[in-house]
Amino acid sequence: MGDVELLQFALAGLKSGAIYALVALGFTIVYAATGVINFAQGEFYMLGGMLSVWAYAGLGLPLPLAAVFGVAATALVGGLFELTAIRPRSDGDPLALIIITVGGSMVLSSFARHLFGPLEKALPAFSGTGTVSIFGAMLEIQSLWILGLTVMAVAGLWYLYNRTGLGRAMRACAVSRDAARLVGIDTRRIVTMSFVLAAALGALAGLAVTPLTQTAFNVGPSVGIKGFAAAILGGLGNPVAAVAGGITLGLLESMSIAFISSTYKDAISLLVLLAVLFWRPQGLFGRSSREKV
Amino acid sequence: MDTRRVVRRERTSVSLIGVIGMSEGARARVARLMLTVMLVSMAAAVALLAGCGQRAGDRAGEDAANGAAAGEPVKIGAVLSLSGSLSGLGIPARQAIEVEVERINGEGGVNGRLVEVVFEDDASDEAKAVAATTRLIEQEDVLAVIGGSGTAQSMAMRTEIERAEVPQIALAGGSVVTDQLSPWVFQTPWPNRVVVPFTLRALQEAGVTRLALISESGGYGVDGQSVTEANVKRFGIEIVATEQFNRGDTVMTSQLTKIRAADPDAVLMWSAGAEAATIMKNNAALGAADPLPFYGAPGNARREFLEGSGEAAEGFMFAAGHILAPETYGEDTEAYNVATAFIERFTARWGVEPDIFAGHAYDALHITVEAARRVSGDLTPEALRDEIEATSGLVAIGGTFTFSATDHNGMSEDALTMYTIIDGEWIPAEKGR
Repeated sequence: MGDVELLQFALAGLKSGAIYALVALGFTIVYAATGVINFAQGEFYMLGGMLSVWAYAGLGLPLPLAAVFGVAATALVGGLFELTAIRPRSDGDPLALIIITVGGSMVLSSFARHLFGPLEKALPAFSGTGTVSIFGAMLEIQSLWILGLTVMAVAGLWYLYNRTGLGRAMRACAVSRDAARLVGIDTRRIVTMSFVLAAALGALAGLAVTPLTQTAFNVGPSVGIKGFAAAILGGLGNPVAAVAGGITLGLLESMSIAFISSTYKDAISLLVLLAVLFWRPQGLFGRSSREKV
Repeated sequence: MDTRRVVRRERTSVSLIGVIGMSEGARARVARLMLTVMLVSMAAAVALLAGCGQRAGDRAGEDAANGAAAGEPVKIGAVLSLSGSLSGLGIPARQAIEVEVERINGEGGVNGRLVEVVFEDDASDEAKAVAATTRLIEQEDVLAVIGGSGTAQSMAMRTEIERAEVPQIALAGGSVVTDQLSPWVFQTPWPNRVVVPFTLRALQEAGVTRLALISESGGYGVDGQSVTEANVKRFGIEIVATEQFNRGDTVMTSQLTKIRAADPDAVLMWSAGAEAATIMKNNAALGAADPLPFYGAPGNARREFLEGSGEAAEGFMFAAGHILAPETYGEDTEAYNVATAFIERFTARWGVEPDIFAGHAYDALHITVEAARRVSGDLTPEALRDEIEATSGLVAIGGTFTFSATDHNGMSEDALTMYTIIDGEWIPAEKGR
């Protein structure tokens, strides 16, 4: 196998890895704030694409505006979802909350189906359908958008967590909700904000991918599972670990195709995930586990 | 800090009388709970209403042409993928059946009895296809079942079909549907055992000797791949790479990189779903400097595929029926007249031209209705099956159907044309390509 091909496989892995990373970040942010796995995360990914397409093709907004609308509207849905479905049970047990998120994901995809129809929808590429050559490896310009948006999202999150009061409050919440409450942090607001943020990140991934893959009401679950696996692989509750987990999973899949077989790529990823969990239950990049909830 | 929050952590049992005596915080909590219940029930009501609307529209031919009715309607079931990844196949099928049921009933139905088609959505899911089949047979008492849209769904339905002994006319193109011959199962699309040799001949004529395959890991892809592998030899073609992908995969670059590394002359894709457009886009990027000829199958004859892949699909070749370009039936033949009349009716009703999937459903409905017209005694599923098997020389959209006890499909390569995509439209490829 030549160097250019190896680079091509690595870039393909980075491309899917960046998507998984954005979805994994959503899982991890909600988990940090609530101790709950939000199984509706994949639907935020779906809504990001669908709402952007609707704004672009249905409302006739220019593409950049439609993209902003898609992400903002999904963030709003994320916030509303928390207020109406999660908050009423915010003192309930995590299992009930997880079931609520599973139900929520079904409701969101059914609504999307009724509102936008069952067929897949296309969105034009952000800046043309051209390609770039990176040392001989070829990449769609849209893939640069995917990678760039992921980097920007991670940088933005870093800024949020380290430089803003809201971010510090979110981190305090992740360490201990009770302690955070005792020092005067409105933990319920933090939980709502974490859903808004997770929805926006999922929507960003769905939006960035749609020009390459199209989107439909039912794309959420399969990407949600991949993002969940990435979050677990990296280590739940830690944003850096989520990104690392996403990139690792993407590269793992691509290299499985390169060196073993595309038929077994998901099985191989799953085996690696199980092996990692066996040796490091806290994930590849997570700190050692502690009691949550 | 805020002691009320601590209070709130205790479980409070909610009763309407209790609300009055509650602390301010608990009351707020109950109010929120009630708001949630209200919101949820509103959402449920909306969903129910939408569902009811769907139900009411789920029958074609119920109240058409009152005068023609005499006796019970002839009830036919249809299990179609109206949502999910195969909805691009199921929706035109339903549209075609609705248009044709209206016309058939307008012309007097079946020997004076109206035709009624009951639709079920399998959501592109095998288990739901089976449940829908059971419902149609047990609760609706249908005489025959049209569908499913996908190969996996059609095969899954078979156990129910054979148990209840009701004829099934599948709209899926997998060869297995009629290769594993069941007395009760018929098939209107061109199965892969017809499509594959036709496509391989075109590849051979184009000078392809090294072929790569990329197929979906589901029913249609697996079927296409295995039939191709079994047939390449007699066309002097060698398979140099075989790659697979799963439904919902977002990046196909890795598989395509591996294919390019094997240095094929062309790639043959087996995918009837939305992923086909992703493959074309990733392929266009990889082949910006050195494009690789791409071939597909009838499953790609979908407008969503054209729209989704855009420029990336330029030059894409695939085999499909004559309906995409009616002049390929041969001007003024009976088939041409049947097809153009159908295209006119369909377009007048739905505003778009029918595609091959609409054609498969047209064929299934007309085969069933013609057979029902020929039944002289009691119209039972068994009598209907015998007459469906006796179908001979029925000129329809997908081709001219002649069934026998050993052939429940009756299609040949004559029913196919090679198409290519130029400027975002499919046009018949020149001879010799």
